Amino acid sequence: MTLSLAALPKGHEFAETRIKLTSEWVAGYVRSVEDDAIGSVVEFGFPPLALAACSIRALLDQAALPDGAIHVGQELSFSLNRDTESEVVARARVASRGERQGWVLMGIELSVESESGAVMMSGRATITFPVSGGPAG
Amino acid sequence: MSQWTEEMRTYRVGDVLPAVTKTITQAKINRYAEASGDHNPLHLDPAFAATTPFGGTIAHGMLVLAYVSEMMTAAFGPAWLRGGRFKVRFRGAARPGDRVTASGRIVRDEGGKIFCDVECRNQADELLVSGDGEVGIR
Repeated sequence: MTLSLAALPKGHEFAETRIKLTSEWVAGYVRSVEDDAIGSVVEFGFPPLALAACSIRALLDQAALPDGAIHVGQELSFSLNRDTESEVVARARVASRGERQGWVLMGIELSVESESGAVMMSGRATITFPVSGGPAG
Repeated sequence: MSQWTEEMRTYRVGDVLPAVTKTITQAKINRYAEASGDHNPLHLDPAFAATTPFGGTIAHGMLVLAYVSEMMTAAFGPAWLRGGRFKVRFRGAARPGDRVTASGRIVRDEGGKIFCDVECRNQADELLVSGDGEVGIR
């Protein structure tokens, strides 16, 4: 059974996940966000936020979002290159957690590296959810 | 679609970036949920979402943020992908039926590192996302 993100303490590290960026998945992502610009930069295979999406997906495979969780902030930096490998490694940890007036404010650090260890994306998502939040869905 | 080229591209402080406008639909939200694995009922379940302060389903913040990234890709091409950064706050919810516009403006140039203000607003000019982006062009 998947844990709820609400149950995780500051410092929790998610298991690293290896993700294969298949052409089908990338195409599905590009369709879902209707990115009309990425096709003009032909040497890069996917939009940078695709990496963020797949790292969030890896995280959510390990811990479910609490009901009604709201994404309040996002920091991201990325460094894609022409030789982007199709298999990447995603890591995440609960970097901060605080409670105020019945709501939890949680910061989650995310990173995606190539197989050779080059950082392709790093960032921090800030989410909030009710203290009593159970797993969504 | 024609290939992006760097020739003839100049950037000046005050330049407005070419805006990107999309219409949010529940089908698009559902597609993003499939791609991202984020099946939070706030995005997908109208009955659940009706019980929240939003009163209905809303788009994932990362879906709306993707429109900002598309704008930056169109403006800066490979430079954005090789070394872009942004920091944003989600200020409001994008709902099915909303027409969302991502826009931005160059506010500083520090020796080839370009800093932009970026935002997304809906058709009622309500602020949904605000923040800043950074891209090295030299």
